[in-house]
Amino acid sequence: MSKRILQHPTEPATGRKYWRSLGQLGDTPEFRGWLTREFPQGAAEMQGGEVSRRNFLQLMGASMALAGLSFAGCRRPEKHLVPFTRGVEWSIPGKPIFYTTARPSRRGYAPLVAVTHDGRPTKIEGNPQHPVSKGATDMHSQSSVLDLYDTDRARFFVKKGEKSDAAAFEKALDGLIGAAGDGAGLAFLLEKNNSPTRERLHGEIAKKFPKASWTVYEPLGTELADEAAAAAFGGGVAAVPVIDKADVIMSLDCDFLGVEGDVNTIREFSARRKVTGPGSKMNRLYVAENRYTVTGGIADHRVRVPASQIGAFALALAAEIATATKDAALVQTATAFGTPAMQFNAEWVKVSAEDLLKNKGASLVLVGSRQPAAVQVLVAAINAALGNIGKTIVGRKLTEKPAQSIAELSKDIDDKKVKTLVIVGGNPVYNAPEDLKWADRQKSVEMVVRLGYYEDETAAHAHWNAPLTHYLESWGDGLAADGSYVSVQPMILPLFGGWSELDLLAKFAGLLKPTGPELIQETFKALAKPTEFVGAWAKFLHDGFLADSAAKPEALKFDGAAAAKAVTGKSLAALAEGAYEVVFTGCAKVDDGRFTNNGWLQEIPDPITKIAWDNAALISPATAKKLGVEDNGLIAITVGNNTLTVAAILAPGHAENSISIALGYGRTVVGQVGAHTGFNAYPLRTTTSPYFVTGATAKATGKSYKLALTQEHWALEGRGSDLTREATLEEYKAKPDFAKKMGMDAHIPPNVSLYTNPPLNKPESLDPHAWGMVVDLNTCIGCSACMVACQSENNIPIVGKEQVAEGREMHWIRTDRYFASTDKNDADPEMVSQPMMCQHCENAPCETVCPVNATVHSEDGLNVMAYNRCIGTRYCANNCPFKVRRFNFFDYNERNVHGRAKNPDDRKLFTGLYEWNLTSERGAEDVTKMSKNPNVTVRMRGVMEKCTFCVQRIQEAKIATKVAVRDSGDVRIPTDAFTTACAQACPADAITFGDINNPESAVSKLKASERGYRLLEYLNVGSRVTYLARIRNPNTEMPGAKDIGKAVRPKQGHKKAGHETGGKH
Amino acid sequence: MAESAVTLTTPKELERVPLVTNDRKHTWITDKVSSIVEERTPLWWWVAFLPCSLIAMIGLFCIGYQISNGVGVWGENKTVGWAWDITNFVFWIGIGHAGTLISAILFLTRQKWRTSINRAAEAMTLFAVVCAGIFPGIHVGRVWMAWFLAPIPNANGIWPNFRSPLLWDVFAVSTYFTVSVLFWYTGLVPDLATLRDRAKSRVAKYLYGIFALGWRGSNRQWRHYEMAYLLLAGLSTPLVLSVHSVVSFDFATSIVPGWHTTIFPPYFVAGAIFGGFAMVLTILLPARLLYPQLDDLVTRQHVDKMSKIILLTGTIVGYAYLTELFMAYYSGNPFEKFTFFSARMGIDNPGWYAWAYYVMMFCNVISPQLFWIKSMRTNYIAVMTVCMFVNVGMWFERFVIIVTSLAQDFLPSSWRHYSPSWVEIWTFVGTFGIFLSLFLLFMRFLPMICMFEVKLVTPEADPHHEPKKEGQH
Repeated sequence: MSKRILQHPTEPATGRKYWRSLGQLGDTPEFRGWLTREFPQGAAEMQGGEVSRRNFLQLMGASMALAGLSFAGCRRPEKHLVPFTRGVEWSIPGKPIFYTTARPSRRGYAPLVAVTHDGRPTKIEGNPQHPVSKGATDMHSQSSVLDLYDTDRARFFVKKGEKSDAAAFEKALDGLIGAAGDGAGLAFLLEKNNSPTRERLHGEIAKKFPKASWTVYEPLGTELADEAAAAAFGGGVAAVPVIDKADVIMSLDCDFLGVEGDVNTIREFSARRKVTGPGSKMNRLYVAENRYTVTGGIADHRVRVPASQIGAFALALAAEIATATKDAALVQTATAFGTPAMQFNAEWVKVSAEDLLKNKGASLVLVGSRQPAAVQVLVAAINAALGNIGKTIVGRKLTEKPAQSIAELSKDIDDKKVKTLVIVGGNPVYNAPEDLKWADRQKSVEMVVRLGYYEDETAAHAHWNAPLTHYLESWGDGLAADGSYVSVQPMILPLFGGWSELDLLAKFAGLLKPTGPELIQETFKALAKPTEFVGAWAKFLHDGFLADSAAKPEALKFDGAAAAKAVTGKSLAALAEGAYEVVFTGCAKVDDGRFTNNGWLQEIPDPITKIAWDNAALISPATAKKLGVEDNGLIAITVGNNTLTVAAILAPGHAENSISIALGYGRTVVGQVGAHTGFNAYPLRTTTSPYFVTGATAKATGKSYKLALTQEHWALEGRGSDLTREATLEEYKAKPDFAKKMGMDAHIPPNVSLYTNPPLNKPESLDPHAWGMVVDLNTCIGCSACMVACQSENNIPIVGKEQVAEGREMHWIRTDRYFASTDKNDADPEMVSQPMMCQHCENAPCETVCPVNATVHSEDGLNVMAYNRCIGTRYCANNCPFKVRRFNFFDYNERNVHGRAKNPDDRKLFTGLYEWNLTSERGAEDVTKMSKNPNVTVRMRGVMEKCTFCVQRIQEAKIATKVAVRDSGDVRIPTDAFTTACAQACPADAITFGDINNPESAVSKLKASERGYRLLEYLNVGSRVTYLARIRNPNTEMPGAKDIGKAVRPKQGHKKAGHETGGKH
Repeated sequence: MAESAVTLTTPKELERVPLVTNDRKHTWITDKVSSIVEERTPLWWWVAFLPCSLIAMIGLFCIGYQISNGVGVWGENKTVGWAWDITNFVFWIGIGHAGTLISAILFLTRQKWRTSINRAAEAMTLFAVVCAGIFPGIHVGRVWMAWFLAPIPNANGIWPNFRSPLLWDVFAVSTYFTVSVLFWYTGLVPDLATLRDRAKSRVAKYLYGIFALGWRGSNRQWRHYEMAYLLLAGLSTPLVLSVHSVVSFDFATSIVPGWHTTIFPPYFVAGAIFGGFAMVLTILLPARLLYPQLDDLVTRQHVDKMSKIILLTGTIVGYAYLTELFMAYYSGNPFEKFTFFSARMGIDNPGWYAWAYYVMMFCNVISPQLFWIKSMRTNYIAVMTVCMFVNVGMWFERFVIIVTSLAQDFLPSSWRHYSPSWVEIWTFVGTFGIFLSLFLLFMRFLPMICMFEVKLVTPEADPHHEPKKEGQH
């Protein structure tokens, strides 16, 4: 495609040539006068701070021009505003424009592509060209677009609670910088971020203010891992696992596919779970963890171990491996440890150790970053003894300069060494360790300047709170998981003004506050050393990353003596009788609390517990019995002097005497979405035991709290052989087509229909395409990224906690999670995740029963919904065997889901329906509307909706093909030219979508797999979704190996087998 | 054969129990039935009518509240898409079966005892169908678009889906209602003329006159009347059987375990007649108490006969329940088995609704067995008690079918408990208010007993009748 030339309007000879912000434009008296004359109502809108439709259009125009050009072109540095009324020549109305960018996180930048419609980003996709992403994304990248349009964002520069403005803020900063001298008394507190530009600015600031202190704090950080790496391998280097190189993986409390992982780790793992035939070689995963995680759920062998006993477990493992290998360094390290406090199933440890030993150099032992540094050093020693260093574990040079910890900063504040504290992002008042009493310390500082995305707990105790920009509003750069250099570019002008982190640091570094990519360009020049800058920069932005910039592995050398020294004298806490350990986990949804105000994330059920809108204390059924508490019962957990009253939920597969609580909930100063969600576990955390604490006491309070679960029933009810089929690798080899003959399918006679629907028999006569999907249960870990992707793509409303509790969530795709066991009271059931969406039955039961023809079959085999035609009898949903249809019980898109915030003290959220009554306010906020996908209808109340296989994408591809082929008549869409939102997002490649009429398509090939089966085949609904049976790769020597997968086998005779754990959920 | 020919003798004619006791004369019948309408409104009527109409108003408020806010004010969820709404619909439509059955089928089969109860039973039918008709109307998400159900040409060019049982329902119920109204009104015409002739106030005269359609009682009119009534009875008879069969298709043609079963049409029809007769008795027995003058018209014999029908149909229903259980077992289908044995009977299941199943079993199958005993069939208190059980049981039957089947169907992940909201409860209670208010109005303003037909079954109407010499009274 040739590059389009932008015909700019002729610029006026005099006056301001362009404006950067609405404020600038709106502030001219001429403009105001004109506006009032032309649009008396519009003028009123311009006065407020809200984004209205009118000024949004202008913003949009601005960002279009700023954005410059499409994914396929290169970017113009000029900044022009093109009012939308003129029509933007290179923008095709209704067509999205794609830009690469990257989302910062503490684990590195996620390379992304942002989809913008008319200048507003509406959807986030992974960058398909970047090896870390390959088009996949996680839940947080998907949901970040909603954060951009969060109505509760910090919108104003606030000085001591009073609204101020950017100019005053800048002036105040100038005063502070001028008075800072050599930087003594100046302290920065930031979040972890590997941006090279930030590092560069850090250097500049250090030069200008040599005495200024630089603190990085992450409540769920990797400081223990860094400490361990420093002890085991020497400083300046981090140990990075290469998961796809490992044949046998042992995870010790490391949720590397969940909260401790990212798209990259999931891809590396699932690459080795891909089964193309009985000859496929799979990796094997052993997991020792205290609670079920998605990692434990996909494991071949899992053992429940309290988090505090993981060290002892590692020691037992080390003993086995040391005995076998006689590795001197390991023996030295292991003997330096104290004696283990707990005995483990010796056979489990022994056999798994043998398996690791058999795979020397191709095995990998991972340890959770929450474990004490000594334990992590010990695991490093095990890996070294197994010869994994340099093979499945490589070194990565640390790019960030060392920073001090928040404890050290606290001490500085106590010592009156801090006069000016600059906090960028983060929320230390909420999430700093309890013993630091951070709020008091922060209050004692003379001047606290905060750049924050929300006016949150920390902002409440700051002298200045300036709005922080979203990454989709600002320039930036960073390093992806593989160390490659990625670009961050804005899609839209800051909606509410605001500064980026780099803007503020540049200011302190004495640079001009950047108006564009200048800062990044400078870093880019230094890093990429381009021979020709303009082209290289354009390519950098276009691709989203710098080619061949992935980090080269650093040599790692395990230092046995140093390791032994590091673990000497480290004792392991024992679990005392009657006391409990409390494990603080990151939340898969709201992380450490930073995403608390994101409605999509709040409403996505937790991948394991299926709780929406809350966290809870996870306890094993046996421990719950001991405590005398049931589901939803409130328990009081006391650690030291602090007591937390938290709702408990019985978690199958949880270690005994262990309580897991996700962090990030119970915020006090938060937007209306995050208000009254969950319980704040931070007050139980201290500097010495930040991730788990032993010696806690717990007791039932007798009170209860209603948790909203999207899945109330946990058991498979003996239906595993019908719903979630699986076999071990050996069984699969012996009988490759095992999945075809399980459950009902083993008995039913062939389905015969008296009426043969001509279009069904010869669908290609009507349309060359037939859409279908394959879901691979072998790689699906249940992370639920697909759910958020679907929510974002299809304008799925959130309904709020009460409605979820009523069973009315709207997700078009869900992840069913079952616990399966042959024994009802099994404390150690297996876990199965199964994504479930509309199966697009060829003989759809929903279609025949709709009295008004609102749900019908399309020629390309979709089960389509005509919202306009639907009157809402709900008969289709009743007759859907998969229960994937969702009904708009209320006007979810028009009513404020969080109307309850009007009554903030009301914790009894289940008293009635008052949020939905006639008096509640109608209408969504304009900013919220901006996040909608314009190609998808926003549904009203009273209509049914469900997965459409992203029909808007199908139609777009069809139109594009028809336009391209012109009169040739070959309207078949090129093979796998597009995919659905869920399939696109899936980091494990578990979902494949495509044309089953096209034998070349990936979906056709997968459908041919002998592992394929369709759910409830006996109903003769002819679903278009095929599930590929799960294959487990257990070690036959392991204790209990023969029972693996037993729960999903057909029942033997009439014996009651395959029953649930814990009865009703 | 030869033997029987030999022994064949004419049995001695048994004396029939008179349908109108105490040998009442035609005038007496006219006077007594008309007096209900003509006398001053009794106090008890107001005592009954005011609370009933108040409850009806509450019901209407709830309907308005639900329509203006959304179906979400009910307790339904993603899994249980129908609950009290359709339960109530099927419950009321079932009740609406007895009246037309009494009027049409018993008319065609020349069951003379029907004459003194058919008018009230038919009226009850209409009011029950009115109550039933509310629910499919209001339960949809977008009530204002409900006209999409009608097969009328429109700009969209889309017809309703003729494959959908819900559409069949629309046709079946509306046809049934229309024919029932016509049938009832046709039967009313001669009696309206009687009231017109007896009316003292001008307004009453005028109104009864209008609705009596100029009835003069001429032979020609009677001939036309008899033919029309016979034809309507013929039309109504298949409708009695078809309506509930069609309603049962809502479930039977689906694939939900517990719904998908071929036994439903006969089972639903039997259940409807069962529930309908119970409701007729529930209404008539108190009416009889309030109007002692009706004792000679609605006799113990009527109650006895209706009790027998309740016993018969109740036993058919019980048989159907057991057949369902057997078929679930015999099918070997674990999903079917789960629905019947675990979800309904509560075996090895949390059994959210097992209690409802046992309530249904007791009320519908066990309690009518009392009617094997004749003294129970003629004991008004016993009959009333059983009828109340049946009314409750038949509601629970529909609840069990609808809710237990939906709440736990194929995928355990989607299983959801359902419980009603106050709006649902009061909407249902409100329909009782509507039903009773309408019936009370009917009692006040229309002859609740078909006077001219009752006269036909008196000895006086027999051309061979010879008045007994010794007067019986």
